[in-house]
Amino acid sequence: MTEVLRARGITKSFGGRAVLRGIDLDAQAGDVVSILGGSGSGKSTFLRCLNLLELPDAGRIEIAGTTAPLDHDRKGRPRIADPRALNALRAKTAMVFQNFNLWSHMSVLDNVIAAPVHVHGQPRGEAIERAHGLLDKVGMTGFAQHWPRQLSGGQQQRVAIARALATDPDLMLFDEPTSALDPERVREVLDLMRALAAEGRTMLIVTHEMAFARDVSSRVVHVRDGVIESMGPPDAMFGAGASPAFRAFLAH
Amino acid sequence: MNEEIAFLTVTGLAIVRALPVTVVLALTSALGASAVAVALVAAQATRVGRPLAQVWIFVFRGTPLLLQMFMVYYGLAAVGPIRHGLLWPLFRDPLFCAFAAMTCCCSAYIAEVLRAAWQAIPPGQVEAAQACGMSRWTRVRRVIAPQMLRLALPAYGNELVMLIKSTSLASTITVLDVTGVAQTLIAHSYRTLEVFCLAAAVYLGLTAGLTALLRRIERNLERGTGR
Repeated sequence: MTEVLRARGITKSFGGRAVLRGIDLDAQAGDVVSILGGSGSGKSTFLRCLNLLELPDAGRIEIAGTTAPLDHDRKGRPRIADPRALNALRAKTAMVFQNFNLWSHMSVLDNVIAAPVHVHGQPRGEAIERAHGLLDKVGMTGFAQHWPRQLSGGQQQRVAIARALATDPDLMLFDEPTSALDPERVREVLDLMRALAAEGRTMLIVTHEMAFARDVSSRVVHVRDGVIESMGPPDAMFGAGASPAFRAFLAH
Repeated sequence: MNEEIAFLTVTGLAIVRALPVTVVLALTSALGASAVAVALVAAQATRVGRPLAQVWIFVFRGTPLLLQMFMVYYGLAAVGPIRHGLLWPLFRDPLFCAFAAMTCCCSAYIAEVLRAAWQAIPPGQVEAAQACGMSRWTRVRRVIAPQMLRLALPAYGNELVMLIKSTSLASTITVLDVTGVAQTLIAHSYRTLEVFCLAAAVYLGLTAGLTALLRRIERNLERGTGR
């Protein structure tokens, strides 16, 4: 098994309030890890620390063999030691956001080919060909020349997933991908993610969709108060062996 | 009556002949001010450049353009190193001095317009660019600049309209632009209202043209987001 993620001792506080208090998490190739927890538990912050959209105060992150270039300045504040290494690390990942964050000034096609062309240096023609294939895959055939604002939330999120797949990332990070969607649109996005899981994508998913987490995950992680309260395969986590705290979280 | 029409025709032609001076001053100042404004915004992202850019904006936005022109044209001529330096042929030219003062002054305003546009970019747009590994320059080139352009355009257009009208101040430092020529004509004819109305109509034509052009660009950019 290839190790894709190794995170050790991740801590983060905002204005003196500790949000993450030491999180360790590993993922092997093909793992689908669902991260569950109440609001304010730190689960989204943890995910954003992994691609350094938030700088962790301490800890070590390795993604597909590349170590995050974290450093501290003289006052002990976290900083990026090497922007190039940071971009190289991020280029191995892809993130799907709660609010889609498609670039509003680019067509659907331009959104999908931006990272392959401008980060990975792929020839434009090749990237376009691949992008059409990905749009087919996410059920957005024929939408290449549309603009993000012409699409529904569910359609935007499916394009965002095509954009994330375009660089063939080692690790996909999903930050509450269905939380901003109408209930009837949630399903189309979850079905798509289910298909990605089935084809062996390595995925970390922060979500509130319990049934989805139970069906699709290889591992379920319960984050509470900035630490991993319990984790395990979904059968154990949703079965008789669940921790009392996770059971209480599910019952809320 | 015939005499009146003849006067207006001759005067109008004289004023229109001064149009190139006004247009050249407006165009060069707009380009210069925009370039300096971009540099000011970029400087504000660095630790050393930030206070310098802020002082520049504070000084040039906080003092009258008229005084800035006086200081560049009349004031710098009294400074030895400039009077006897290599740049004297430039600073001896009132048109260049007007250009220099307007570039400095308008750059301060445009920099503020650009900064506001920068801050109005939704953070998620930049985060998406960071998350896929775009370098800082690629983010600016592919995401930040195009979005800034769209957000800044209406206010930027406003600054350009103000800039066109401000060129009339150059007449006070002997530039024979539209306003300068109008004043000369009044000195000969004493027909203040007619001449100034003709000059004002020329400015109105310029700003109307600019406004139409900006509206067109804005529409094209909007089409580029599927609105």
